[in-house]
Amino acid sequence: MSSISDQINSSDAKESAKIVTPRSFNWNDFGLQVFLIVVGLIIALPIIIAIFTSFKSIPEFNANPNALLPRDWTFENYRRAWNSTPFGRYLINSVIQSGIIVACQVLFSILAAFAFSFLTFRGRDAMFYLILGSLMVPFQLTFIPSFLIISNLPANCMEVFGETAAFCDQLGANSYFGLTVPFLASAFGVFLLRQFFLSLPKDLHDSAKIDGASNFRFLWQIVVPLSRGAVSALTIFSFLNAWSQYLWPLIITNEQSMRTIQIGIRFFLFDQERGVEWGPLMAGAVIVMLPTLVLFLVAQRQLVQGIAMTGIK
Amino acid sequence: MTTTGQVTNRKPILQSVWETVEGYLYLAPSLIILGVFVYYPIVRSFNLSLTRVAPFGNATRYVGFENYQRLLTELVEGGDYAIYLKNSLLFMLGTVPTGIIIAVGLAVALSYPLKRLSWFHRLLIFLPIVISSAVTGVLFRLLYNPAVGYINHWLSFIGIQEGPNWLSSKDWALIAVIIAVVWRQLGFNVIIALAGVQNIDTTYYEAAKVDGANLWSRIRHITIPLLSPTLFFLAIINVINSLTTFGEINILTDGGPGQATTTMVYAIFVDAFIGTPLRGFASAQAYLLALLIVIMSVIQFSGIGRRVHYT
Repeated sequence: MSSISDQINSSDAKESAKIVTPRSFNWNDFGLQVFLIVVGLIIALPIIIAIFTSFKSIPEFNANPNALLPRDWTFENYRRAWNSTPFGRYLINSVIQSGIIVACQVLFSILAAFAFSFLTFRGRDAMFYLILGSLMVPFQLTFIPSFLIISNLPANCMEVFGETAAFCDQLGANSYFGLTVPFLASAFGVFLLRQFFLSLPKDLHDSAKIDGASNFRFLWQIVVPLSRGAVSALTIFSFLNAWSQYLWPLIITNEQSMRTIQIGIRFFLFDQERGVEWGPLMAGAVIVMLPTLVLFLVAQRQLVQGIAMTGIK
Repeated sequence: MTTTGQVTNRKPILQSVWETVEGYLYLAPSLIILGVFVYYPIVRSFNLSLTRVAPFGNATRYVGFENYQRLLTELVEGGDYAIYLKNSLLFMLGTVPTGIIIAVGLAVALSYPLKRLSWFHRLLIFLPIVISSAVTGVLFRLLYNPAVGYINHWLSFIGIQEGPNWLSSKDWALIAVIIAVVWRQLGFNVIIALAGVQNIDTTYYEAAKVDGANLWSRIRHITIPLLSPTLFFLAIINVINSLTTFGEINILTDGGPGQATTTMVYAIFVDAFIGTPLRGFASAQAYLLALLIVIMSVIQFSGIGRRVHYT
């Protein structure tokens, strides 16, 4: 698994294998450099345009919308975006929503993957296929019933615990529980970590048992520390997915105060009645993509590794 | 004496019971969540698809396969559902081959061991993977805008003075969404394709070079055949993604103009959540769409992909 990502992230190995005559100018290399830079800039262009537009003043944008670089850089659009819609609240909601999803997906995947790779018990393989099979069930088949389950949950809860049970309101639509609970388990995560755990030597478990360590202690003190790479790849991958979620937060929240940032930017666009103000809108878009852009810049390696692993079976 | 004998007899049973209990305790969180939000909804969705909300009331009543019949009739007679299916297929044809061809081309270019800047090329080309579909929609709203957008502005440089009205033209709206989605998925496709390209043993290329094969014939006769498992995986994943694309359509066109960009998945959303909710009818559509997707997944899981080779 890691070998492929290593290959992706560095061509050093191949470089050193190749005998390079020093100081010779290679026209092929030069052409490829130019080609890749041009293509790369074209691909990055929508993001670059959004960033530049977000720093242009509104009069400047109106006078000359197609100039790429702002003449006078200003934070005005960010101030306007921040003040005209509760981006701060959306950000907090998204952080809480993604935080809950990532924490539970990683934790539950570790637990299940451990059982599938180190324990033997009746029905284990059947359960593995049951969990793996859920990868084939498209969200489009389950989201209407899931929506009904979550929407009816407060009423169902009150039937059981009585009308006065205040916590029942925290379970339905417009709640963090409702936003996150369908995604707390990840079949992909279980599969990924199981593959990694299976590659660890079995002797580890035996010697831990001889030392009298419980399975639970063995998992947290030996297995998880040894699997830091796989766990962090899963964490980043699952954060990216959780942060970018769109359809579910769109249908399960209708109160502004519970919207995630992805839904917030949608309504920021659609609520602008007197024509779209592009500067503030792009400032909003930059706010939405900033966390994942930063994550990409600091953890490109793990991110690429996590994605490359989806292609390996 | 007898008691110790009993204990040693019983201990393995107790132990195996405990081992089973322990195993399921580890699985419990995942099993409960997937049970409630994946497996139970499969059944519930099917039950829903056999119901309809009675007119002038909230009571749902059982209508058998009426919803499915309606969909099939629409399909045969060229009604709404035929349009949604056609849009989904056009969307698939627009996104899947384009996305894969660009990705493989870029992967081949990126796999070439350059001395400098290769981290920078990867950075720029992978960048769209961190952009959500909502942000993609918003960015392309600006790019496509007829008054202030960049795309028509640039088209005027190459002589096209009247660029299309991307999002409000029935002929261009689907293409506009396709371009945005190909862009967002490019990073993912390139990463997978690059992993595949770099798995190919370099000695094949060296041998081909010795034999005097040029770049194109090396790509045609070495890269593509040896890459076929990766290409197959990409094809399946991209087909599934194209069938389930939602965010960009919602933000760029909202299924319009008219029904020009209402795909099968978008119709499910509209029927289930916009206006009077027709959840039974939407569930029947969800079942048909899921059927298509499951067929794709089964093909992928069954490992045909691993046997595809040397086309």
